[in-house]
Amino acid sequence: MSSRQLGKPAGFAVAVESLRANKEQWAVYNSTGNCVVLAGPGSGKTKVLTAKVARMLAEDVQAPRGVACITYSSECARELERRFRSVGVHGTPNLFVGTVHSFCLKCIVQPYAQLANEPLPIPLRVATEAEADRCLSDTLKRLVGDERLSSWRTRFDSYRRRILDRESPDWHDRDSQAAAVIEAYEAQLHSRGMIDFDDMMLFGLRLIERHEWVRKAIHARFPILVVDEYQDLGVPLHRLVNSLCLGNSRCSRLFVVGDPDQSIYGFTGAQPELLEQLAGDDRVEPIRLKLNYRSRQQIITASEAALGQQRGYQAANAGIGVIDFHPCLGGVPGQAKAICELIPKLLETGVAHGLGEIAVLYPDKNVGDQIAIAATSSGFDSVRIDRNAPYQKGPFTRWLEGCAAWCCGGWRSADVRLSDLISSWRGFWIAANSSADLVHERRALVKFLFATRDPSCSLASWLQAFDAACLKQIALLVPSFAPDVVAFQKIQAACSPGKAMATWSVAQFAGQLSGGDHLKLITLHSSKGLEFDVVFMLGMDRGVLPRNNVTEKGKHEPRRLFYVGLTRARHEVHLMFTKGQHSEFVLDVHRSLNPDPKG
Amino acid sequence: MRISRIQIDNFRNFHKLDVRLSDHAVIVGENRVGKSNLLHALRLILDPSLPDSSRQLRLEDFWDGVPRPLVRTDRIVISVDVTDFEENEDDLALLAEHLVEPEPMVARLTYAFQPIAGQASEPTSEQDYEFVLFGGDRPENRLTYELRRRMPLDVLPALRDAEGDLANWRRSPLRPLLENVSGKIDRSELATLAEQVTNATNQILSVEAIQGLVRLINSSLTGIVGAGHTTEVTLGFSPTEGDRLIRALRLLIDGGVRGVPESSLGAANLLYFVLTMMRVAEDEATGNRSHTFLGVEEPEAHLHPHLQRCVFRSLLSPRNATSDSPQPETTATVLLTTHSPHVVSVAPVRSLVVLRRDAPDNSSIGVSTASVELSETEAADIERYLDVTRGEIVFAKGAILVEGEAEEYLIPVLAKKLGHDLDQLGITVCSIGGTHFFPYLKFFGSNGLNIPLAIVTDEDPKVTGKKLGIARLRRLLNEFDDEFEGSDDEIIAECESNGLFLTRHTLEVAMWHCGRRNSMKNAFLDLVRTNNQARLRAKNEWKNANGTLNSAQMLRDIENEVGKGRFSQRWAARIATIPNKNCPKSIKDAIAYVVETTR
Repeated sequence: MSSRQLGKPAGFAVAVESLRANKEQWAVYNSTGNCVVLAGPGSGKTKVLTAKVARMLAEDVQAPRGVACITYSSECARELERRFRSVGVHGTPNLFVGTVHSFCLKCIVQPYAQLANEPLPIPLRVATEAEADRCLSDTLKRLVGDERLSSWRTRFDSYRRRILDRESPDWHDRDSQAAAVIEAYEAQLHSRGMIDFDDMMLFGLRLIERHEWVRKAIHARFPILVVDEYQDLGVPLHRLVNSLCLGNSRCSRLFVVGDPDQSIYGFTGAQPELLEQLAGDDRVEPIRLKLNYRSRQQIITASEAALGQQRGYQAANAGIGVIDFHPCLGGVPGQAKAICELIPKLLETGVAHGLGEIAVLYPDKNVGDQIAIAATSSGFDSVRIDRNAPYQKGPFTRWLEGCAAWCCGGWRSADVRLSDLISSWRGFWIAANSSADLVHERRALVKFLFATRDPSCSLASWLQAFDAACLKQIALLVPSFAPDVVAFQKIQAACSPGKAMATWSVAQFAGQLSGGDHLKLITLHSSKGLEFDVVFMLGMDRGVLPRNNVTEKGKHEPRRLFYVGLTRARHEVHLMFTKGQHSEFVLDVHRSLNPDPKG
Repeated sequence: MRISRIQIDNFRNFHKLDVRLSDHAVIVGENRVGKSNLLHALRLILDPSLPDSSRQLRLEDFWDGVPRPLVRTDRIVISVDVTDFEENEDDLALLAEHLVEPEPMVARLTYAFQPIAGQASEPTSEQDYEFVLFGGDRPENRLTYELRRRMPLDVLPALRDAEGDLANWRRSPLRPLLENVSGKIDRSELATLAEQVTNATNQILSVEAIQGLVRLINSSLTGIVGAGHTTEVTLGFSPTEGDRLIRALRLLIDGGVRGVPESSLGAANLLYFVLTMMRVAEDEATGNRSHTFLGVEEPEAHLHPHLQRCVFRSLLSPRNATSDSPQPETTATVLLTTHSPHVVSVAPVRSLVVLRRDAPDNSSIGVSTASVELSETEAADIERYLDVTRGEIVFAKGAILVEGEAEEYLIPVLAKKLGHDLDQLGITVCSIGGTHFFPYLKFFGSNGLNIPLAIVTDEDPKVTGKKLGIARLRRLLNEFDDEFEGSDDEIIAECESNGLFLTRHTLEVAMWHCGRRNSMKNAFLDLVRTNNQARLRAKNEWKNANGTLNSAQMLRDIENEVGKGRFSQRWAARIATIPNKNCPKSIKDAIAYVVETTR
């Protein structure tokens, strides 16, 4: 049933009313043509986006035609879906929400690659990371006699993502060795019956650009194309948008949300200029959201100074906020120790409404190790998100946390819904053959969850029982589940004696889901989209951010990364650095706050 | 949107059915050949009102020719190809994921009943089977209810209880129409009307005799069950509240004197059709559905031939034809099964589908006229022809196509003399009223309806010595083999092996020569009573001075004095009464050819 028939859900009315007071948000809500929303930090972009999509679904398109909503990652997609639900948009078959990869795969490559005679395997299977890596190292061994991926990964990925026209002279001329490796890799991967994530996008774009009938079909299905986090999405998506929305005929309406200042994924091919270019196109109406509902004014001022751009953002909230500088001794461990000493005071004064409202942000996983050690020895429960965390957050591990949360009282409070857990679990079985098996396995899952509703149970034994009851069976029957098996084994390993999670209970593990009361330890990159009362920026030393010997141009992205960190805070930012070794960005902030330069 | 092709494997009567459709389909065939099964096959894919319990077929639904026990590879597969939808964006949005051909777009929707995948052993019972519905030849691309809802197949079953349905509010096609209208009536106006009806009812109830009856009923009730259990009863027309008042409206006929139940079956059926078409048109107009496929089973029951032709001429008229009728036009595709030559007679020339049993394995096969190559004028010729002959030939098991009515009268009689009762054999003799056999050969021949067919044409020698018949045969022969060349005799021989027969000279002359002189002479003398030159010539057997037949004079006399048709009728009647078996070779051969190929 479409939202049209649902009438106006309360959530929707509330969301719309709250837009009315904000001139720019209201203009976005009322836009009728192609629209680019330049949404600074804390500007309420997701609220605007969800309300606008709900409105377009109700007023501007009629099923079976619909809206495709593309975003950066599957995490972002899940969050968007959650927000759509809150304004009464759910279960609408004419709304697609997903990553650009899943859009290309499901809406373009799967239905049309074969019809267009593209040289892809049938049926299509998406390679796991390990399978893709193995294929690349096999190819490297064959072509360049060196199977080490580390030296090739970046060169390989960025060349493949930046030069999209294989027929152009550039492709062979600029880096002929890379071109040869990529072509051989792709042929090898396809001959093994698989495609990888970049294939989805490359073939998706190719089908769109080459075939009028593909554009026609996509336009019929999606007369409106919505793109969130545009700054992170790179050239292929930019060209896809141009082809579908700004071509000569049958153009879908474009609704884009993004912020070039928060473009921090250059290594994946993201370029902030693309969004700026789009916003400057005269076929598109650009609207900049000015009010920042998150940060206090001083934090906004400081962040603009760090960025080196005056955006004219204004704080919606009263209060000036705090930016504090903490020169420390003893390197990163010294800074980490200082943080742990400051935290109790923050909680005492009530600046932070709980340990969960404090985040420590840092450039990389090695810095993360230091603060993790310090936090543990200070007795703080923490959630850690970086490559050295005991386990990585992904769809599967989040699901596992969800199961734990359900067992620890979610079943009673309905914070975690069994139906959601089961539907995600159903997703693991994509390749499963028989519905009879599924019924049997679902029974096993529900039986296990009901039987283990004990928060004090040790995590290690809970995981072991879980494995025996259901997971082993999925691993056995579904080959594509293999990467999740690896993830699961990693968590189990982390629970073994002497490891980080050895003493954890199921409840502690469940706490990782919302992280409610846990101190957050997050890399700057992963902090995007999050917000906290208090932010510590750890390891802001010279040579770290930006790295040494970086050109002025090369400093742009680190600068934006620093900006992203600063703008996560509502009330206070604490910059931690080694005394006398501060990053130049720290200095920029300091100067903006203290016009009299003392350094 | 239209169905362009239907393929059925192993379902009920069908082993391998593969028919092309052009737009509407008029499906004919003997009883038990599978006409209803064909419609039911389509329902499995397209009927939203069919419950899944009915989609789960049974083992006896497998074609009888599949060896038992069934093995893993045995499947029932039904698919429909849909095309001509790409210019309608709603339709395209609905079908874009299910394409099998891009330019022009063709979408395929498939139903399969098959052993549950992934089972190690051979299927043994119905529990081992499941059905799947998928699009675009991609089994993982499942079809949803949404698709069936938006492009539904509505089936009006044979011998429908039209009266009962019209009288039953829930089932009446009048209901959605009235409900729609009722929504458009001004509420206060409706209230006023309801009040007036209430007043009128009260006036009737105030009549003393009626009041007495009401009192009596109520006191009887109370007498039996006591005051505590009695529901007070009153008399009235209908609940006199606005919306219910509208619902209480009934169809009346004969100037409002009679209700539908008192009308004839035919009138009720007719009303049912018209209302159904109106309802479909309205569903399409409101956007509830994109397209309707209307299956109609043997609708001719109780309808007078003239009505059959009127109703179905309009129902089967080319869609989107401009019309000055005031009611909304539906674009529904009609798929109807019929035994009525009258319905066939008004069917568009490309809409015919003939089902018949295939001798080798006793399964039903289908042929259609959808892809017969006919020029506009040829198509018009055939349409006119079917209209005049009332379409009987389409039902025939075999046919002899002849030039004129003389053959039409004479051949059945001659056949009987030779021991073949053409009616019993289901062989029709049809005059095409001329010599333009070519379009008929295409239409009825092996590339069209594939009806066992003989053609008998006259040699028509000219005084110049040129034989028109030979040139005609040469052209017809090229329909089978455009490379064929040869002498006159070779042409005749080749033609005879393909069912094309040449009568030496003309029929009457050939009959004369084969030994039907006396009956011919006597038939003429019967009819020409006046003693004139023609009668005299006939008595002398139209002899030339040299004693041979003056055939030109004979034909002139028959034409001028009696008329060929009337003469042949009389002649045939004479032949029927005498034992003589003489028959021109071409006729004898043609009969033998059709009788043989019909077997």
